[in-house]
Amino acid sequence: MTHLLDIRNVSRRFGGVLAVNDVTGHVDEGELVGLIGPNGAGKTTLFNLISGFTPLSSGTVSFDGRTISGLKTNQVARLGISRTFQNLRVFPNMSVFDNVSVGAVGALPQGAFGALFGSLAGGGARSAEISRRTWEALEAVGLTHVAGELAANLPYGQRKYLEIARALAMQPRFLILDEPAAGLNDTETRALADFIKRLHGTGLTIMLVEHDMTLVMSICQRILVLASGRKIADGPPDTIRRDQAVLEAYLGVDA
Amino acid sequence: MNVSDLSAPPRGRGLLIPLLLALLVFVGLPAMLAGFDRGYFYQIANLALIFILLSASMHLVTGVAGLLHLGHAAFYGVGAYTAALLSTKFGLGFTVTLPLSGVVAALIAFLVALPTMRLVSIYFAVATLAIGQMLYLVMLNWVEFTKGPNGIIVTKGLELFGFSLSGRLATYYTVATVVALCVLAIGRLSHSYYGNALRSIREDDQCADAMGVSTARLKMEAFTMSAFFAGVAGSLWAHMTGYISPGDFKFSESILILAMVVVGGLGSLPGAVIGALLLILLPEGLRAFGDFRNIMVGLVMFLSILLLPKGLLGEVSALQLARRQLGAAWRNTVKGEGIGWR
Repeated sequence: MTHLLDIRNVSRRFGGVLAVNDVTGHVDEGELVGLIGPNGAGKTTLFNLISGFTPLSSGTVSFDGRTISGLKTNQVARLGISRTFQNLRVFPNMSVFDNVSVGAVGALPQGAFGALFGSLAGGGARSAEISRRTWEALEAVGLTHVAGELAANLPYGQRKYLEIARALAMQPRFLILDEPAAGLNDTETRALADFIKRLHGTGLTIMLVEHDMTLVMSICQRILVLASGRKIADGPPDTIRRDQAVLEAYLGVDA
Repeated sequence: MNVSDLSAPPRGRGLLIPLLLALLVFVGLPAMLAGFDRGYFYQIANLALIFILLSASMHLVTGVAGLLHLGHAAFYGVGAYTAALLSTKFGLGFTVTLPLSGVVAALIAFLVALPTMRLVSIYFAVATLAIGQMLYLVMLNWVEFTKGPNGIIVTKGLELFGFSLSGRLATYYTVATVVALCVLAIGRLSHSYYGNALRSIREDDQCADAMGVSTARLKMEAFTMSAFFAGVAGSLWAHMTGYISPGDFKFSESILILAMVVVGGLGSLPGAVIGALLLILLPEGLRAFGDFRNIMVGLVMFLSILLLPKGLLGEVSALQLARRQLGAAWRNTVKGEGIGWR
């Protein structure tokens, strides 16, 4: 059986540093997978390798049976891999609605002619679909009431959900959340956990990149653990919790 | 809330203001011009309209897509020279040269954009500056082709399929119609999802890329389309004044157009229009003050940047954008990637 996402012997070298070292792993359709590791373990690098942000030094990444290593970031995105950013990157000078519409128009491009002539050039249906997806995504994260606000004016927590809405508007097959809980308090983190579980419940395949174990342990079905660029464990939360190598990596315990 | 009911973006689609504006441009102003009956007023009105088009086309590339363009006047010049040369060498009239001027300017912009579009931030700005200077120097120095600093006299006035439109009022109406149609087109482009994709490039191009937006392609399109509209403006200028010379398209004109967009507010089409009106009408209105008027115009620009960081109606602060662009140029790059391009 082919996996939705298949990572084979992937490495990335930055000068003398091997940020990701020969990592192999996979994500199946419908899974909710966690990717954890201490700071500097190579999580974000691996994630950037998947999304085409950073070119691979060696290895291959394939999505739905198709090799995606070497594709441009926007091509990878249009295949159905959508992401959020660790350091919030909303478009500050655009409205909440317009922010989210970028995700929709990215997945479903509207050309200059479509914009110019609208329904005359058959662009009307496209516009309506983009608009529908945008409202749907806003509805999913509960931000419809601030659709007209400038993104820069939203509080931090809402901007997180705005980023997720923008990623959802692409109607991705695979959603990667990069440290979504960073900067949130316990209550907010619990609400986020519920939200992610609900998203997963709709059939979306999700990968959660976190260095904080608790969120990942509580909701993920399977967890990949990176340390110093290598994959050191891969399994359900219960196994990971007792895994000697993981404990060492996190706590520095001698074996 | 029922999602399917919400099919429109949450912004006002007021028709009142555009209608009032159209009424003003096509009824009010012509009536006033005819009332005063002075050629000078007609000239000012036409000049203002042409600069409205230039400012609006700059709005598309700089205000919406966030690309700092320092050579816009050169594409205006390419349009004007295309019209003038086609008209004097081949006897073609305005009806034919108008679209061709736009197409030639767009074509040159496209060719120029191919190698420069991967440049980021300030490097792109410097490249457009160089391109503007190159085109200007061609107009100035290729004497056999462009008649160099002597300029070209264009004898054919405005016309439509052979009907002369070169009377004062007819000229005004022709210029106003072309400009209005172009501004309408630019408005549709910038107030669409396509426009939102362009804005996302201005805001954060890497992030836009991750959302599936083909940033390189869209930048290219914005640059090319803005050159098209500048070329159209050039054709209007050539047939309207009857005489063009390289001096009309030099670097300072590019800066003037940029200033219009900045004063009016980056990202706002009404802002770009108001900025153009302000920077054309103000120097004319202040003629009584002689050369002091340039100082006063400079002061208006300076104060507007200082006190209105987002211009009159802008979406994004010019200083913020410039600072980010300058800053972005100095980011550390990974081995194997050139500095300043992507």
